Amino acid sequence: MSTQRLATVLMGALPILFVLAIWQALCSFGFAPPSLLPPPGKVFLRLAQQLGSLGFLDDILATMIRLFAGFLIAVVLGVGIGLAAAVVPAINAVVRPLVQVLAPLPKVALYPALIILFGFDHASKITLVTLDALFPILLSTYYGASMVEQKLVWSALAAGTPRWQILFKVIAPAALPSILTGCRIGLVISCIVVFLAEMISSTDGLGHLLVGAARTFQTVDMFVPLITISLLGLMLNGLLYGLRKYLLRGFPEV
Amino acid sequence: MRDKVRKLSSPSERRSTGGRMQVPLRPEIDTGTGATSDERARAMIEIDRVSKRFETSGRKSHLALADINLTVNDGAFVSILGPSGCGKSTLLYIVGGFVAPSEGVARMKGAAITGPGPDRGPVFQEFALFPWKTVLGNVMYGLRQQGVKRTEAEAQSLRLIEMVGLKGFEHFYPKELSGGMKQRVAIARTLAYRPSVLLMDEPFGALDAHTRTRLQNDLLNIWERDRKTVLFVTHSVEEAVFLSDKVVVMTRAPGRIKEIVDIDLSRPRVRAELLLDSRYQKYVVDIERMIDDGRDDAEHP
Repeated sequence: MSTQRLATVLMGALPILFVLAIWQALCSFGFAPPSLLPPPGKVFLRLAQQLGSLGFLDDILATMIRLFAGFLIAVVLGVGIGLAAAVVPAINAVVRPLVQVLAPLPKVALYPALIILFGFDHASKITLVTLDALFPILLSTYYGASMVEQKLVWSALAAGTPRWQILFKVIAPAALPSILTGCRIGLVISCIVVFLAEMISSTDGLGHLLVGAARTFQTVDMFVPLITISLLGLMLNGLLYGLRKYLLRGFPEV
Repeated sequence: MRDKVRKLSSPSERRSTGGRMQVPLRPEIDTGTGATSDERARAMIEIDRVSKRFETSGRKSHLALADINLTVNDGAFVSILGPSGCGKSTLLYIVGGFVAPSEGVARMKGAAITGPGPDRGPVFQEFALFPWKTVLGNVMYGLRQQGVKRTEAEAQSLRLIEMVGLKGFEHFYPKELSGGMKQRVAIARTLAYRPSVLLMDEPFGALDAHTRTRLQNDLLNIWERDRKTVLFVTHSVEEAVFLSDKVVVMTRAPGRIKEIVDIDLSRPRVRAELLLDSRYQKYVVDIERMIDDGRDDAEHP
């Protein structure tokens, strides 16, 4: 079992190593000048150095706080509104048109307004992350909860479950696979948006580091935050995958 | 509509079908007024002039059930048999309180049915087990809902799981079980909260022939212990005759009761003996013919 698991992890690592090899080849064979595209070895070495510096860790921390806060608020709101809309037709009547109008809106366009409202610090970035991660979570929760097999509900009602408890005892657990799929998409979007927000205007965070390095033409320092955010995303995705596997251990399709 | 039901249950019709068959058929269509006081007292379920109309797209509505009258006595095993789409499952859902009738009323022990309740336990063809709960968790669910303490609910559930032949699988998830095992869990889950009536909606319809036979035998054995009232929907004539005291034959849409056949075979029933019994064979052939007649009616109105 464990060797099988190791094999899957190695299989997953292969494509990543392949991309790194191409990157290295581009540098080694002189297709890209080292001043524009530094070799991966140099970038990872710099990353290792940076991980020892308190300033860099502070930037990671700032990004992670925004990422987590924004994502978690989006999960609470998305799951809550999604379930409520699926169960109460009156709430659905209010939420549905709002979602249809707001979901396709580029939330980044609201960022200047958010800065004016909440300032340059955490609050404006957290709000932006929440706004962007909210809709995939809300929509997949809503559809998951709407498509719960009727006979599960009937079985619970016949067993004596009061109607108001059906939401928590049947609909929410039955919709869990969809909810977690929405969370996974929301998490990826959160990683992207937190970085973007920090690039646009910030005094700290990984996105801010990248912009700073780019302005002073320090290409190695430019790649370090990029690698960091993708490693961060990889780790968080792994955590969520583990959580999903545990929570959905009884469900057939996982 | 009602004329047709009357015609089917008229004495001349009875005599004509009775004459064709050696086994007497006694259609007992209870109109609610003709029942004796003794029958009233023993009646567990009364279906009184129930119709169900489904609103479909456009202006047309679909009449699924038309003017159903049926009384199921306490402790009776009654099968509802009919072609697919005849509304037999809908009738069961109305008794379960999951679906409201468009006209008429269904009563349980004399009280009108307004919603689902633990006195009527459903078993569905699709099993409808909770995938996030283990076998034990599924079986315990109803008991916990009834306010039974965890340790007591667990002890009772373990006994039930053993009774349906799944000892050793308590901590398995439904996805790890075969179809037949899943349906055993579903039966145990429903039996756990001790309903007065079992409502079985083609419970063995999704199973292979061998598993189906085994579950039929096991269901009869379990039923023999306390003789709960069972309302059993099926489209298999053999299954209906093998299991039931009474077989209700329905016509195709809109569903009406065509005949009610009393199955006068002794219990406990042993499959191997029954299959060779000419009376059993006669019931099967006669009921199959009844269903075929219905088909001719539909093709040549």
